Amino acid sequence: MSSGVGVSDQCLTAFQDLKLKKKFKYIIFNLNKELTEIVVEKTSDNQSYDDFLSELPETECRWVIYDFEFEKEGGGKRNKIIFLSWSPDDAKIKQKMVFASSRDALKRSLTGVAVEIQGTDFSEVAYESGA
Amino acid sequence: MVNYGGDEVSALVVDIGASSVRTGYAGDDCPKAIIPTSYGYHPAPPDADVTMGDGVENIDPVNKSKFANIYIGQSGPSIWREGMEVGNPVVEGLIQDFNPIKPLIDHALDKIMRVHSSEHPILVTEPTWNTPANRERMAEIMFEEFNVPAFYIANTGVLNAFAAGKGSALVIDVGQSMASVTPVVDGFVLRKGLSHSPLPKLIHAHARHILISPTPHRRGIELLPHQLIANKTLVDAGAPPKFTIRQDRIAGTTESWRIWAETREVDEWVQSVAGVLDQGWNDTVAAQRTTRQYEFPTGYNNYFGIERFQVGEQLFTHSPQLVASNPNLPKTIPQLITEALRACDPELRQVLMGNVVLTGGGTLFSGFADRLTAELTRSFPHTKIHAPGNPVERRYGGWLGGSILASLGTFHQLWISKEEWQEHGKPIVGQRCIH
Repeated sequence: MSSGVGVSDQCLTAFQDLKLKKKFKYIIFNLNKELTEIVVEKTSDNQSYDDFLSELPETECRWVIYDFEFEKEGGGKRNKIIFLSWSPDDAKIKQKMVFASSRDALKRSLTGVAVEIQGTDFSEVAYESGA
Repeated sequence: MVNYGGDEVSALVVDIGASSVRTGYAGDDCPKAIIPTSYGYHPAPPDADVTMGDGVENIDPVNKSKFANIYIGQSGPSIWREGMEVGNPVVEGLIQDFNPIKPLIDHALDKIMRVHSSEHPILVTEPTWNTPANRERMAEIMFEEFNVPAFYIANTGVLNAFAAGKGSALVIDVGQSMASVTPVVDGFVLRKGLSHSPLPKLIHAHARHILISPTPHRRGIELLPHQLIANKTLVDAGAPPKFTIRQDRIAGTTESWRIWAETREVDEWVQSVAGVLDQGWNDTVAAQRTTRQYEFPTGYNNYFGIERFQVGEQLFTHSPQLVASNPNLPKTIPQLITEALRACDPELRQVLMGNVVLTGGGTLFSGFADRLTAELTRSFPHTKIHAPGNPVERRYGGWLGGSILASLGTFHQLWISKEEWQEHGKPIVGQRCIH
């Protein structure tokens, strides 16, 4: 079951730029005010994971595509694209509901995501839990 | 004619459970009308004229055969009437008898909310184990008898997961008659992982047994409802009650009404005093917890200590004696969870355990969430339980999820419209309402 919310073309373009051209480190997605379409809220090439975490609002939901870089034991650096559904416990119930029921629409249009995470507080999205 | 395609859908949400029927406007944060699902009725004598009295619902011709009168809502079964029987259409979470469904929904929409069903799309909830025949019958009632312009039936497991902000979750729902564990992945129910059992019935029977059996410290307790008591005198805790029975009513009281009333007495006691020990069963700890006082309608009152935890303990473990004497016991909550997880892919299990959602009035036992955390972290260290602290959110989570979903402007494409129903008939319900 899904909410029927659409995905704007801008989301796909930004995602392609991140995946193929490595233009960004992460993309933050949000819903538009009318709750009818998913739009890009912010793109960034800031490499600091902590700076990224500080961008997540404490009482609002977001989706994030993050180009996660980690050291594989004896294997050097690897990159994986992470899809994060950010839904803090303190967010409004309606927003949580719309985001949860619209997630599938966004996820289906972004191909090449390696890992999916549902985050409700900062401990769940710490760098270590990603690795 | 309402334009259901617009953003302002002003839809209604109808959530039918074993204990209550919840209806309200989509977009609201709690149901407008909450009425008991149990209803009182006088059985129709064969081929007799139907009489209409005060407070009697209008009965459509279909139901004439079964009920002479039907009494619904706050002044329904709870008012004593001579010869009145009590029925409940919901058995093990499913609607078994559709006869009283129309009067029940009519009462909630028409008498309490004062809305006309023909002007609003209606979203109805269903449990995960609902049958295709049942949901098609519901669609038929909505379109043919309520004349709704549009209809949708949504799964309570998915609605609860969404309302908690999760596309994937393990939804633990403990209601009045059923306990269930539903794995929801990306907004869809993993049907093979669904497990449910009539555990709350056992809890109830156990509580009843505790109350009516005498112990060395106290007598067995009479479960007389206040409707059958003329007067009572204040007595000390544990002292024999002093009360007078309304003899004039005894002869006219039906067996089904009496069972319903006693069930309510037991439920009230359970809801008021029962709890769960947060770290597993331990006689010493249970005895150390503070006692709680409770007074029955007869005036009998006492302090309950260890007994109130024995009741809640049944949710998690059955005593060995009970298991030995009864091989078909309903599965406990940990057993249900194990069974649900076993049917899921190993990589999904971690995701599900990190997103456990509690819902239903039966999870409001004090200490329930703590105990569940203690039980689950033993096998899954990353367990995270989402339990709304607000009892309204917990009790009516399914309704609330439906309310939000139906209020979304973008949801309109999923509604089944009257025109579609007339063109395609029953099969469209299964095609459109997938979860």
